[in-house]
Amino acid sequence: MFFKGCPLRCAWCHNPEGQSHEIETMVLQSGERVVCGRDWSVDALAEELLVNADIMAQSGGGVTFSGGEPLAQADFVSALAVRLKEKGVSVALETSGAASAADYRRVVSLMDFVYQDLKLLDPAAFSRWTGGSLAQVMENIAWLRGAGVPFVFRVPCIPGVNDSPQDRTAFNAFAAGAPIEFLPYNTAAPAKYSMLGRTFSLTAPPLP
Amino acid sequence: MTERIKSLLDRTFDREQAKFRRDVDWKPLLARFVAEGTGDVVRARVGLEEMLREERPEFMDGERLAFLRTVRQIPDLHTDAEMDARRASGTAFGEKGVVFNLTADFGPTIRDGLGARLDEISARLGKCRAEGDAEGVEFLENAALSVRAVLDLAERYRKAAEARGFCEIAATLAHVPLKGARTFHEALQSLRILHYAMWCEGEYHCGLGRIDQYLYPYYKADLDAGRLTADGALEELEEFFIACNRDSDLYIGVQQGDNGQSVMLGGVTRDGAPAFNDLSRLCLKACGELKLVDPKINLRVDKSTPIEIYELGTELTAKGLGFPQYANDDVVIPALERWGYATEDARDYSVAACWEFLVPGCGMDINNIDAVSFVGALDASLRRLAPAEGVSFEDVKAEFKAEVQRRADALVGKYSHVEILPGPFVSVISTGCIEKARDISKGAKYNNFGIHGTGIAVAVDSLASVRELVFEKRLLTLAELVKLLDTDFAGRDDIRAAAKAAPKMGNADPRADEIAKWLIDFWGHAFDGRRNDRGGIFRPGTGSAMYYIWHTRDVPASADGRLSGEPFSANYAPSLDVPVKGPISVVRSFTEPNLGPVCNGGPLTIEIHDSAFAMPDGVEKVAHLVKFFIDRGGHQMQINTINRDTLLDAQKHPERHRHLIVRVWGWSGYFIELDKPYQDQIIKRVELAAS
Repeated sequence: MFFKGCPLRCAWCHNPEGQSHEIETMVLQSGERVVCGRDWSVDALAEELLVNADIMAQSGGGVTFSGGEPLAQADFVSALAVRLKEKGVSVALETSGAASAADYRRVVSLMDFVYQDLKLLDPAAFSRWTGGSLAQVMENIAWLRGAGVPFVFRVPCIPGVNDSPQDRTAFNAFAAGAPIEFLPYNTAAPAKYSMLGRTFSLTAPPLP
Repeated sequence: MTERIKSLLDRTFDREQAKFRRDVDWKPLLARFVAEGTGDVVRARVGLEEMLREERPEFMDGERLAFLRTVRQIPDLHTDAEMDARRASGTAFGEKGVVFNLTADFGPTIRDGLGARLDEISARLGKCRAEGDAEGVEFLENAALSVRAVLDLAERYRKAAEARGFCEIAATLAHVPLKGARTFHEALQSLRILHYAMWCEGEYHCGLGRIDQYLYPYYKADLDAGRLTADGALEELEEFFIACNRDSDLYIGVQQGDNGQSVMLGGVTRDGAPAFNDLSRLCLKACGELKLVDPKINLRVDKSTPIEIYELGTELTAKGLGFPQYANDDVVIPALERWGYATEDARDYSVAACWEFLVPGCGMDINNIDAVSFVGALDASLRRLAPAEGVSFEDVKAEFKAEVQRRADALVGKYSHVEILPGPFVSVISTGCIEKARDISKGAKYNNFGIHGTGIAVAVDSLASVRELVFEKRLLTLAELVKLLDTDFAGRDDIRAAAKAAPKMGNADPRADEIAKWLIDFWGHAFDGRRNDRGGIFRPGTGSAMYYIWHTRDVPASADGRLSGEPFSANYAPSLDVPVKGPISVVRSFTEPNLGPVCNGGPLTIEIHDSAFAMPDGVEKVAHLVKFFIDRGGHQMQINTINRDTLLDAQKHPERHRHLIVRVWGWSGYFIELDKPYQDQIIKRVELAAS
């Protein structure tokens, strides 16, 4: 499930339609208009997802909450996770960690698995490239390490930003033995920006 | 893969073997048959004798399994005029008229050798002569001569191998196929010769059947005795599989690649015990390494099959081979039993060329004798009802059902008397023919005819659209709709858009799926009580064969919004261009109907984008999708892993895509060797991302 809306504005974001909480319209090259986003109630969404409870039970599969930033809608995600877990469906969270400690902890506690993003380890660079606070993310990660919920770190490797051998060494050191995956940069990312009437440029905002 | 196999593979793919081939003009032979009024049985035997006499022993460097075709053409045994005259006098033939689309009973002859069959023929001949059974005598005499022709070529091969220093081949041929195979290697050599000889006799779509069962005893004995390792067996198998591709460009079906060299793996034994074994595993591994279109792998599974076996199969799917095709024992075995197959035979099923379920050795079924066009039947029904007043949707359904029944009955009439031209050699390697002293073409244990049903999804979607547009939203009358079908919805884009937006099969939408359920229920019983003059039944199925292209020539646009000339989906699959929610909803829709009564065969055919296998868990996910289909009572399923851009590029630059394999209707072929309409249809198929 992709939740619309995110507190970060990562320059490389490959799902820019996930940034705004508002419903938006993308105009494809063909001229076709695609509405991004839809309002859901917890009940309706739980019902829709549970249609596939049978194959999830068969395959050990489940539902992953992603985004956007799902923790920006922590109440909704919590309520939905409880409903799914009642029916034996496994739930996972994919998060940037950019959320209040309270939201992070109560949602993560409900999860069977967490994909925790690692984007940059330097506070100033993190702030410049994403517009967010690394301190908040680090506080959440520190808690995650002891929370007992299985997790993996995921690093999106952005050319020229965090993909040097030194970066990789630093990420591995930070993981300190915890599982970590390095994901190749999605080269299709720029295409969606023009569909939203925006321009894409993989440059950091100028230093203040 | 060993260096030797790699070299054989590359040279076979590049058709090095073609350098051994020459043309033979068979017209004088045919003229002699006509002039002398030669009978069918003698023609079949003499044709094989002459063909094998013209063949010359040739070997590819590094091979250990011999036999390849050196004569391009198989002799024609009858002139078109002769065949037309027979048709005119009320005899129907299946396709070319000869024995085709079946799998011989290779196991017993590999085990006993052709010499044992000659002894049986000789003993039976004495009895026939004593009884004055002239037909039996003619069959047995010609069968013996056919076997001798095969043995004669094997002996010429042995001598040539000896002369050229291929000592191992010479030693193998000193034993098989005359005597029973003692090793896995001899068994494969024997199988190669028997299969090769069938093609030379003029049979086509010659399946290989359950090789993991009938070859297993040799594999196991060799391993137990320490003569062979698993790696050695893999190499042997790979050489055999490569051999299946050596002459396949000469085995032309409706399209290149449509040659029916199918293999069935797994399932249960005739006693009902699980049959998937180490050799089944090796077969899958060999195909995965070779990445060739032949043989075409089928895999039998059921509810109890562990996911690990599905994953082994899916590894091949991920490589883009278009197989394995899966068959569900839980559905197929009871279906065959209901149709009168003995339980042991039902458990022993394989497939004919594509997906038509067949019992090797004892089935002289013509599994694809014809097809009913559901789209054509619906079109005729709508036209008949269009002028009438007060028509309801129930009337449309009733008229459609009656029209399908009329078409089914017409086929029963058309094929009330079918003749098959004799095949004395294939009879020798089939079950019971020597004992009965009759050619297999005169009838085997099972003599059933299969009828395909084409355009199921288009017909169901069209019915759903008629209900919504004409009877619920009342956007137009039936008469107006029929007029629009003749003009491809000219000037009424709104109606076509509404038709496109109506419920469709593949979205787990009950408004479409309940119609499919109803259609398949009555189609499954459309031939109840009907028999052909061989005592066989008619088996309805969900396959399309090539009719998904052919039948579109006979119908205008359809009520689902499909324009004239646009193809149907192949087999049992969502209509082309239908936006479906994903593969799970497709599986849900297509397992709603009860598929037991339509078990002539015809798989759910889905396309998966190749990116589905980019992530490491792609194989596991697709394997679970197949298991989901099987657990929900699906009968048969095949999966194409394709990338639309790659296919488009292959049309532009065929030379860059010589290895690109696609699943066509029931077989895997090289994309660039297909005619354009078949290429285009594949490009149009819905791509469902398994994410």
